[in-house]
Amino acid sequence: MPPTPVPPAAESRGLQLVSRSTYLKELALKNLFLVCACVAVAGVALIFAFVGLRGWPIFATVGPWSFLTGTEWNPTGAEYGILPLIYGSVVVMLGALVIGTPLAVGTAIFLSEIATPRVRSIVRPAVELLAGIPSVIYGFFGLIILRPIVANFTDGLGFGAVTAWFILAIMIVPTIAAISEDALRSIPPGIREASYAMGATTWQTIYKVLVPAAKIGIIDAIILGMGRAIGETMAVLMVVGNAPVFPESISEPIATLTTQIVMDMPYAAGDHRTALFGMAIILFLVSMGLVALVRLISRFQTAMESGR
Amino acid sequence: MANRLLRPHTTKSSSNTRTNAAARVLVCAVLAAALLTSAGCGQRSASATELVVTGSTTILPIAEIAGEMYHDRNPDKKILVSGLGSSAGIETVAHGSSDIGTSSRDLKPAEEELGLFDTPIAYDAIAVIVHPDNPVDALTTEQVRAIFSGEIENWSEVGGRDKDIGLVNRDEASGTREAFHKIVMGDTPFDRTAAVLPGTGQVRSVVANARGAVGYISLGFVNDEVKVVAIDGIAPTTESVIAGEYPVQRLLHFFTVGEPTGLARDYIDFVLSEAVQGTIVKDAGFTPISGRIE
Repeated sequence: MPPTPVPPAAESRGLQLVSRSTYLKELALKNLFLVCACVAVAGVALIFAFVGLRGWPIFATVGPWSFLTGTEWNPTGAEYGILPLIYGSVVVMLGALVIGTPLAVGTAIFLSEIATPRVRSIVRPAVELLAGIPSVIYGFFGLIILRPIVANFTDGLGFGAVTAWFILAIMIVPTIAAISEDALRSIPPGIREASYAMGATTWQTIYKVLVPAAKIGIIDAIILGMGRAIGETMAVLMVVGNAPVFPESISEPIATLTTQIVMDMPYAAGDHRTALFGMAIILFLVSMGLVALVRLISRFQTAMESGR
Repeated sequence: MANRLLRPHTTKSSSNTRTNAAARVLVCAVLAAALLTSAGCGQRSASATELVVTGSTTILPIAEIAGEMYHDRNPDKKILVSGLGSSAGIETVAHGSSDIGTSSRDLKPAEEELGLFDTPIAYDAIAVIVHPDNPVDALTTEQVRAIFSGEIENWSEVGGRDKDIGLVNRDEASGTREAFHKIVMGDTPFDRTAAVLPGTGQVRSVVANARGAVGYISLGFVNDEVKVVAIDGIAPTTESVIAGEYPVQRLLHFFTVGEPTGLARDYIDFVLSEAVQGTIVKDAGFTPISGRIE
């Protein structure tokens, strides 16, 4: 975010443009908001320090390589390999993205290009509401409604990646749709009008002009959706079946980093607990990486635009 | 431009997002502080009016209903009951954050050094449950072990239909899992591809809805939705448990640091009294501790 210019009243004490009490009020407010911002930064720093301090010993005791690439997660047997869990997280996330992205981008295109204001005034709040539903409700829905359906189709228990995919796909729609729609709306109207003026149909305008123009914004949206999917815990926990193994099929139990942390935290002690914090470090790094990626892409785009 | 993209469209919702972000940050900070303090939390001072009972989800109904009855009789005393699993119960009572730790398993060797005092409060049998449509009525202990270790993968191998077995296991914090492992599995490890569910109720509802599923829960939680399988020819009933004939059974424990005193003593005496043993314990499907003594 660009630095906001300091209001003159707070800065130019020498000019005596405002009364002393107004000046003090301005100064107090400025500092109050500074404190607010600091709390945010301190929160991140504290959590990172806490997770880091509690988690790093596992890299020393188990070794970073065998921790990350070990294929056996068996704490009672002192085996701390998190590869099955990383695999689980990635499989669950990718599947959710594959199902959720078309849904979300389609919603965004509908909202920004096709829907009449009346329809939009119904659909958009509905999509936004999806983001407000607590994840445990999604999980409950998945466990009670979706799991038996999957169980019928696959002739199994219904726990597994595929059940999580559908739940997560719905959960990431609001994130991806809102940001994609914003990207589409920020395209100057002139571009749209030019396309129609050339005789292009709505569909041609959408897939030849608008989506390419909003490409970077949509990629940002997908990356943030990815972060949401990989970090989601409660809803996933209730439908994946929580077996820390490489499953034979997508409808067999699997576990992710986040669900394993929740399952094990109540009773873990010693190295096991440290390993859970080690997993938290991995998750922290992943989400930091995703945010950094979004920033990088945005910077790249700004550079491209100013270079034009 | 870049930042615009990250913000929702209208100015109104944009300010909402910022409030949300601020709230989230606050929550994060509070959580971090809570975690830090809990990491170094001290001993709970014994209260004369409040008793914290934590542990096994199997014992939760008994402890809770007995707690309410106790509170009705002694309105100035409060019994706070929660279920986090047996391991958590033992850990919290040993570290002083609860007064009584409930457990549906015996102490592990490492835990025996914690100086905990054991009061058994009931017997419990663990029932192996299947879908009501499953034709299998009885299994031997060896068959159950082979099923839960993943050696037998189809019901036809134990006299049922040609259908894959859907294994449902409990999480490692579960006392039921611990007891089942000790009694049935011995040194054989569980099949690690089994679904792991964090609660007795979940195991029951999943088994009730999946034709190929098999799981195990406390006899006290069995209902009409699932079918109980006889083990080594003996069905789990109050009689067979009291007689010691049913093979998969265990003791339910209340652990305290040292011999219980004050409110804890009073509450435990109440749980052991006929008022609780004869009603709640029996209703929950457990076998009163007095049953075998008589």
